[in-house]
Amino acid sequence: MNERDTTNARTAPDEQHTDSADEKFRSWTESSGTGTVNIKDMTKVYGTDGDELTAVDSMDLHIEAEEFVTVLGPSGCGKSTVMECVAGYLDPTEGEVLVNGEPVDGPDPSRGVVFQENRLFPWKTVTENVRFGPQMRDAVDQSRIERLFDQMGLEGFEDSYPHELSGGMQQRAELARLLANDPDIMLMDEPFSGLDAMTKELMQEKLLDVWEDDDRTVLFITHDVEEAILLADRVVVMTARPGQVKDVIDVDLERPRDIDMVTTDRFNELQRRASESIHDEAERAMEQAEGRA
Amino acid sequence: MEYAQRAEQSVSLLALLVIWGVATMIVGAVPSLPTPPEVVMAFVDAATGGAFWEEVLLSTFRVYLSFVIAAVIAIPLGLLIGRSAIVEDLLFPSLEVLRPIPPIAWFPALTIILINSANIVRFIIFLAAFFPILLNTIEGVQDVEVEFSQAASSLGASSTQILRHVLLPGALPSIYTGLVNAMGLAWVSLVAAELLSSTGVGYFIWNAFTAGEYPNVVVGMVAVGVLGYVSSALVRWLSAQQLPWLQSTTV
Repeated sequence: MNERDTTNARTAPDEQHTDSADEKFRSWTESSGTGTVNIKDMTKVYGTDGDELTAVDSMDLHIEAEEFVTVLGPSGCGKSTVMECVAGYLDPTEGEVLVNGEPVDGPDPSRGVVFQENRLFPWKTVTENVRFGPQMRDAVDQSRIERLFDQMGLEGFEDSYPHELSGGMQQRAELARLLANDPDIMLMDEPFSGLDAMTKELMQEKLLDVWEDDDRTVLFITHDVEEAILLADRVVVMTARPGQVKDVIDVDLERPRDIDMVTTDRFNELQRRASESIHDEAERAMEQAEGRA
Repeated sequence: MEYAQRAEQSVSLLALLVIWGVATMIVGAVPSLPTPPEVVMAFVDAATGGAFWEEVLLSTFRVYLSFVIAAVIAIPLGLLIGRSAIVEDLLFPSLEVLRPIPPIAWFPALTIILINSANIVRFIIFLAAFFPILLNTIEGVQDVEVEFSQAASSLGASSTQILRHVLLPGALPSIYTGLVNAMGLAWVSLVAAELLSSTGVGYFIWNAFTAGEYPNVVVGMVAVGVLGYVSSALVRWLSAQQLPWLQSTTV
């Protein structure tokens, strides 16, 4: 299950760290190379008798360890519901969500979550936020925290409060907070949707760097076709509500990737395929929204 | 900016003095209302004797003790009620029945139960301070967005850690609003309770009134006003120290 060769990305020359804390961090990460997600025949119904809304209907999705999967869907298609079930905030009405073969039972630090709206604690400084996860287990590794500040470009803002940061910086701090916990799985719900185009590109590259460095599974939700393809190993296209898997697109672009790839022929081909696939669903979603309004 | 604010606040206090002065100058408008100079003289008299300060200290100590006890009980109770629907259902209705009863209305009932008049005064102040702190704590906890608790649990926080690191700090601005209100109400009910007992600044006012020493009545009133003002300022200062994330400005 964990067959992917993870040494490739690591031997890139600029990624060879030598300090010992880093080594320790690496070896720990490698030893915990788990992170499969298995969504089995999952249905989620909101509300009760008479006023029910089926958000997700009999969805199946298997995500390999260390795979980067983006879920692409029109708004209101239940993609956030899927993620909240994997995060452990919601229980499926039917079916189950397995992580590493075990049913999800509530939130867990091995499954880090990032949302569109940052959820940094306003009452804690950036440092206190980033240290939060390890601090809860009494396992703060100061050199790792410093490395994360460096990696995410947060130096100089250690003692600032979240509202003092720009939107992009808030998302970087959120990402640093999640990485401080060294999760096997990163669950990201449109984390860059609220950012301007330029910041969004930088954040996408940052995320690719982070992912290529370490062995993590990523489930990334978006409604942006270009973003979905640029980041993913596989793009899962969802139908309009009730959400189901409509299409799965394997993205065979080479890694490491960067934003320049969006102009290549292969990228355009994949983008066209994904756009066609999602187009009808977006129309249906819009009709649904009008019907409810 | 800050100087301008200070100046405005000084004008507010001066205006109060001027209105009072003018009222006493309109002959016959309010007979036997002590003029500001009379009150200053009376204050100098009272301040040079020990009795006045004893009453002031006694009252201040009473307010602060009862205030602290109220906070120590109301804040944890509020956190508990705000967090658990079961605890809320069990406790909140009976607390809501007790809340509209003015603290001073407890006086007759308390004389039967507590007998000791000093304890009665303490308990009345406690009641006055208790409810605003409790209600603001409950509201504060319930207003903390569930997303923050979810984020904390995804980062590995236990429910006790969520209480300490998320719900308490998230509710703190509201708790401090409650504390400032409670401090004001504590002084209001102190005077009421002391009018009926025989110690403290409240008694000083009542005693001066029955003896016909009207300037002393005003000395007592001003003393309560100043003490209440300073006490509330103290709570506000404490709140600024404890809520640094609300002080810093956006870059």
